[in-house]
Amino acid sequence: MAEKPREEKGISRRDMLKTAGAAGAAALIPVPLDASTTVGALEKTSTELLAAAPAGPLMNLTAHETEILSAMVDRLIPSDEMGPGALDAGALRYIDRALSEAESDAAEAYRNGLTALDRYSEYSRGKPFTELGDKEQDSVLIDLQTGSATGAGVGFVGSSGAFFNMVKSHTWQGVFGDPQYGGNVNFTGWDLINYPGVRMRVSREEQRRLEEDQLEPVRRSAYDFEQFQAGEED
Amino acid sequence: MSQLTQIPVRVAGIGILATCIVTAEIDAQSPTTFIVESPTMTTGEMMPRDYSPDGRNMSPPLRWRGLPEGTRQIAVICQDHGAGNPPPWVHWIIYNISGTADGLPTGLPFDSSEPMPRGLEGAVHGNNGWGLPMYRGPAPPGNSLHHYDFAVFALDEELNLPPGLDREELLEAIDGHVIGRGDMVPIYRRQRADSVSTVN
Repeated sequence: MAEKPREEKGISRRDMLKTAGAAGAAALIPVPLDASTTVGALEKTSTELLAAAPAGPLMNLTAHETEILSAMVDRLIPSDEMGPGALDAGALRYIDRALSEAESDAAEAYRNGLTALDRYSEYSRGKPFTELGDKEQDSVLIDLQTGSATGAGVGFVGSSGAFFNMVKSHTWQGVFGDPQYGGNVNFTGWDLINYPGVRMRVSREEQRRLEEDQLEPVRRSAYDFEQFQAGEED
Repeated sequence: MSQLTQIPVRVAGIGILATCIVTAEIDAQSPTTFIVESPTMTTGEMMPRDYSPDGRNMSPPLRWRGLPEGTRQIAVICQDHGAGNPPPWVHWIIYNISGTADGLPTGLPFDSSEPMPRGLEGAVHGNNGWGLPMYRGPAPPGNSLHHYDFAVFALDEELNLPPGLDREELLEAIDGHVIGRGDMVPIYRRQRADSVSTVN
């Protein structure tokens, strides 16, 4: 399985993502080709095929809940001069998928928490969360984080901080986790932190280049290696 | 480092404050008391909800006058002596404020990448009780009523301290440089959205 070629200089990943404009679309960005591109490099890994899946409605959240969660996730890791954000990386879809699988127990906490977040926003800022500006959204999220979003009738089950930390943790997973699980689309998260990628072995030469920040990153899911085959029966 | 002394802070004669003994860890040699006030709140009275998470959670405006001669820089701490383990719980720390400043406007940026308003260049936030370098307003539990001490320290030197100090680190850093202090201690209880004490 070939590694995906890096983008040409002069066309930044962020520029491409900006053009795409949406998380679903980001998965469909074509890889720029140059003379060195081989046929092998055009082969799709399972991760890329997953990432290219069409973006439909979420399975576990209503349209309104999706809007609120989308706005929240977008403020946790916004798309800015540092690079693409959590929505570009597919964190929203990662969370939705997790709520059907490993995090299914959290589905009710999401529904309660998103409702409470919107109620708190109306209560404290006079508008639904999605209608607030970036700064006001940040301010509301800090209230959640600090456990202060407890005004009368807001209705967080437990602490607002617990809900904030849950969504933050899942967003981090969706951005920086292995793409096998539906997030980190096109390795957006790994590119953001310059993660060298999954390797089965590291040669002395690769170690040297890594230390000199010259190592070409590997952009393959761990599950694209034979040693890691997820969910297969013996 | 000079000997720290616990001295009672002289605040306005509000009876309710008799239950709230505020102590100051400042140099005992010559601290001058000066006036701290605000156009929107005062000692012993309810803070507007916009300075709390019941409202917009923006930092309140402060004014001070009667600073001692020789004031070079100013530091501000907002603390709740009735919360925290151990108390106080810190809501706000800001320092490196020019000694020529006569107060703070409302709504200081909570994003450190945003510039401070004109006249406050160089001022930086310390870390509050949540470990965040910003103002976060009062949110006392249940229906309880808490006192919020806005303590303003006049310093005899431009210390230009690094951002992100917590209360203990700041007090240690300014120890021996405090030539005056003023306090304003409004109160707060969680309010409903339709309460009247909103700042426009």
